[in-house]
Amino acid sequence: MFHTTFYLRRLHSLVGLLVLGMVLFEHIFTNSMALGGAPVLNGALATMELIPKPIFLALEVGAIAVPLLFHAIYGIYICRQANNNPGRYGYVRNWQFAFQRWTAWLLVFFLAWHVFDLRIFTKAISGTPISYELLHSMFTGNPIIAVLYIIGMFAAIFHFCNGITTFCMTWGIAKGPRIQNVVSLCSMGLCALLCLITLVFMGSYFVM
Amino acid sequence: MANKPENKIIVVGGGLSGLMAALKICEGGGKVDLFSYCPVKRSHSLCAQGGMNACMDTKGEHDSIYEHFDDTVYGGDFLADQLAVKGMVEAAPKLVKMFDRMGVPFTRTAEGVLDLRNFGGQKNKRTVFAGSTTGQQLLYALDEQVRRWEVKGGVKKYEFWEFIKIIKNKDGVCRGIVAQNMNSNEIVSFPADVVILATGGPGQVYGRCTASTICNGSAVSAVYQQGAEIGNPEFLQIHPTAIPGSDKNRLMSEACRGEGGRVWVYRENPETHEKERWYFLEDMYPAYGNLVPRDVASRAIYKVVVHMGLGMQNPNRVYLDLSHIPADYLERKLGGILEMYGDFVGKDPRKVPMEIFPSIHYSMGGIWVDREHHTNIPGLMASGECDYQYHGANRLGANSLLSATYSGTISGPESLRLARSGKLGDALTEAELEAARKECVEEFDRIRAMNGPENAHQMHHELGDIMYKYVSVERDNKGLAQCMKELHELLKRWENIGVTDHGNWANQEAMFVRQLRNMIIYAMAITKSALLRDESRGAHAKIVLKSDYDQWDDAKKKAFDEKTGKYHFDAETGRAMTDDGNDDLVFFGRDDEKFMYTTVVSFDAANNEPEVSYREFEHSLIKPRLRNYAVAKKE
Amino acid sequence: MAEQKKVRLVIERQDGPNDKPYTQEFEVDYRPGLNIVAALMEIQKNPVTVDGKKVAPVVWECNCLEKVCGACMMVINGKARQACCSLVDNLEQPIHLAPARTFPVIRDLLIDRSVMFESLKRIHGWIEVDGTWDVKDAPIQNPHTAETAYEISHCMTCGCCLEACPNVGPQSDFIGPSPTVQAYLFNLHPLGKFDAPTRLNALMEKGGITSCGNSQNCVEACPKNIKLTTYLAQLNRDVNKQALKNIFNK
Repeated sequence: MFHTTFYLRRLHSLVGLLVLGMVLFEHIFTNSMALGGAPVLNGALATMELIPKPIFLALEVGAIAVPLLFHAIYGIYICRQANNNPGRYGYVRNWQFAFQRWTAWLLVFFLAWHVFDLRIFTKAISGTPISYELLHSMFTGNPIIAVLYIIGMFAAIFHFCNGITTFCMTWGIAKGPRIQNVVSLCSMGLCALLCLITLVFMGSYFVM
Repeated sequence: MANKPENKIIVVGGGLSGLMAALKICEGGGKVDLFSYCPVKRSHSLCAQGGMNACMDTKGEHDSIYEHFDDTVYGGDFLADQLAVKGMVEAAPKLVKMFDRMGVPFTRTAEGVLDLRNFGGQKNKRTVFAGSTTGQQLLYALDEQVRRWEVKGGVKKYEFWEFIKIIKNKDGVCRGIVAQNMNSNEIVSFPADVVILATGGPGQVYGRCTASTICNGSAVSAVYQQGAEIGNPEFLQIHPTAIPGSDKNRLMSEACRGEGGRVWVYRENPETHEKERWYFLEDMYPAYGNLVPRDVASRAIYKVVVHMGLGMQNPNRVYLDLSHIPADYLERKLGGILEMYGDFVGKDPRKVPMEIFPSIHYSMGGIWVDREHHTNIPGLMASGECDYQYHGANRLGANSLLSATYSGTISGPESLRLARSGKLGDALTEAELEAARKECVEEFDRIRAMNGPENAHQMHHELGDIMYKYVSVERDNKGLAQCMKELHELLKRWENIGVTDHGNWANQEAMFVRQLRNMIIYAMAITKSALLRDESRGAHAKIVLKSDYDQWDDAKKKAFDEKTGKYHFDAETGRAMTDDGNDDLVFFGRDDEKFMYTTVVSFDAANNEPEVSYREFEHSLIKPRLRNYAVAKKE
Repeated sequence: MAEQKKVRLVIERQDGPNDKPYTQEFEVDYRPGLNIVAALMEIQKNPVTVDGKKVAPVVWECNCLEKVCGACMMVINGKARQACCSLVDNLEQPIHLAPARTFPVIRDLLIDRSVMFESLKRIHGWIEVDGTWDVKDAPIQNPHTAETAYEISHCMTCGCCLEACPNVGPQSDFIGPSPTVQAYLFNLHPLGKFDAPTRLNALMEKGGITSCGNSQNCVEACPKNIKLTTYLAQLNRDVNKQALKNIFNK
């Protein structure tokens, strides 16, 4: 007997936390360079360009595109199994459970737009390299885009941080209610911190 | 197994006894059709709290099986079949080990062996328990094993099916039943080799009692009307400690007293004239104290509250106090029921005394069976609370889980033996099955069409009021005769019931109307046998009336006068009372010569009247002696 | 004389599995300690709505009225609870009663929970004893483990946790917290341990423990205060170990 459901579900959890978590951190780290202005961010982007093209592409496909697609598609399947009910059962964990699913739906659309717009259309098709200037004009030119990006980032951060909590439960790491609470508080703290960083570097485009 | 013919046994009822019988039948190679009102996991056995008696002797008290045997017979006021009891107490330790292997989470000692607790009417620690939800845990263990057999194909469950009646073949042998699906209201006949009833007690006859709403005795009454004899129905146990409620009286386990709980009321000290707590059970019965058997405790509470005017009144209550016991000990031993008290009363019994009062709890009587659990109808067997075996005139606490399980271990294999004996005559023909089914369908259709002014549930409430008024802790012949009259009136009024639900889908109202009639008829069997038993024995305590006294011959009068001392008859009620200033009621004594017999009741269909006779039973092992819990038991 | 206080109940009714739900309002006399089952029993005695319409009495399931049988679970003011221990004093009025729609509705508040009992078959919810006959002795058990088992063994299959769980329902194949955690109960027993791999493998299948989404409503809804989430996490741990064994031991 091969427990397909079980392995897929566990893979989903692993991919979400480890692989996509790394991607999220990389994005926040690189983008926070914007705080240093154009030279710093462009420098960071240039450093990444040092990675040989084939390897970079392989990384993009193997460590981002495929895991993301798997996590998204299987995630939609998981979302559809839930009948969110925080209105009737308004406990914190249940709200987090519902938000995990709502942010999931949001991220499917946000990431589709983000990847298609920046990576595929702008970078690949138009051949425009991603740079501080490009982002600056994009965000300041249309603040709605900036707001959408902030919402998308917040969603991704929450989804990831809440994912840490559920990961600890799903893998049987945090068993009792006390440790589960501690994990949940820590990850929500991380969530707040990452959101703050995001808000700051996004805001920096408008100040500088 | 492969060579034996396949035998189909119908078991009605999925409590401890029914499930145990089903397991035994499966193990013997038979097939079981298991019928129940509810998913068997919700059967009433799970309401048992305190524990199950078995001589495990793991407390260094030199407990013995004989002691258990003697306690049970003595506690039952020498009305139990002693050979049957002997078999039961001998099997008890083995049954406990079986449950342990099946995964019942019994409470354990630090060393990991089964813990034992004290229970009423027994001096030694003899009661194994799982916190205060022992019945639930035992039932679940058997439910799990039956589920295992269900997967293996030995058991087919019919849950949410109501038993309506048995079907006999032309030789009068019971070879099937008619049952109704309680959701679709479909009525179907089922053939079988043998039918075992394990349908539990008739508590609902009293309306508010410690029994579940499903314990209405309807099935017992149905077979009684089809010719089965009822044994000892007048012996109904009144549990001294229940939380009275308008929908039901909730049991507060005897384990509370077993773990050190004390019963008291406020009174003025006769000498110092100061207000004090009076631990009246400890005062009246120094040898057993709070752990006197249930009939004794109930009568004492009744006396203190109703006749002496102590305790709380309107509503009547006494205190059951656990607040002196450390909270963590209580939590471990009694957690479940203390939580229940908190849920339903809203007070914390770890801090304040509980307020309790006696309530109808268990029927020692039931369908008459022999020691192999055959009824007088061939092919029909009965086991569990619905039979009359094992407890005599009063059941000891924690013997019911034992008798329920044990009776299943007897009735199960015995049903298979009977099925294979070739003595069952012909199987039911299609025509016989259909005729029985049609009769029940017509009856149900008639009920659904009932359009009178009476409400069945209202009438059920009245039935409970009547029974509590006349046939509870203290009985007298005037009241019992009046009760018979009122029950007959009630039965007549039953015809005038109107149902508001005339449909044929999950029509609980119509099914209840059918059950109600059965309940009224069973109530008559209880009342009539109580009326005719002119003695006090166990749970049946009868007050002497002037009218009784006047009918006695001189010798009997003289004996009574001598025994009672100074007394008078109350002008208003005609009840005999002592002259010592307390106005204590004077009860009939135990009359072994005339009444050490099993009451056997059969149904006279023409007059809707119970016919009472008396039957010998086996009591040769322990000689009857006076039952007195004020002093330590002498053998 | 003081006016009799009344309790108003708004009951969601449904005549049959495929009929449309509708609501009816009833009033019963208040008394201290009144619970929902007792209120429904009063309606049985006089099944008349507040509009004065005589109707069929409300259909529901109840047995023990002591919170041990699990029969009377329904949705009271939005939450799954046992009706028998839901005291009117603790509920906001009017009191809304509805069937637990996670399960198929048979009629009114009566639901079909047979799926829970089927799930118990699926998780191998029993101990493989040789038989009911005497085999001399039962193994001694660690009293602390036995206490944990006792806690889990209180589960009365009422379905509160399934009704509260967002991942249980017609949209999902999750067997729900209660039957899942029962697997742990049997794995704790010294004889039940022998079949632990069978149970853990069963939990790995579709609709098993992987369908748990950690909303943790179950532990809040459980009327028996069973630490369901703790045991679910423990089972997750056990299931993961079992998965490794499945991969590396063969």
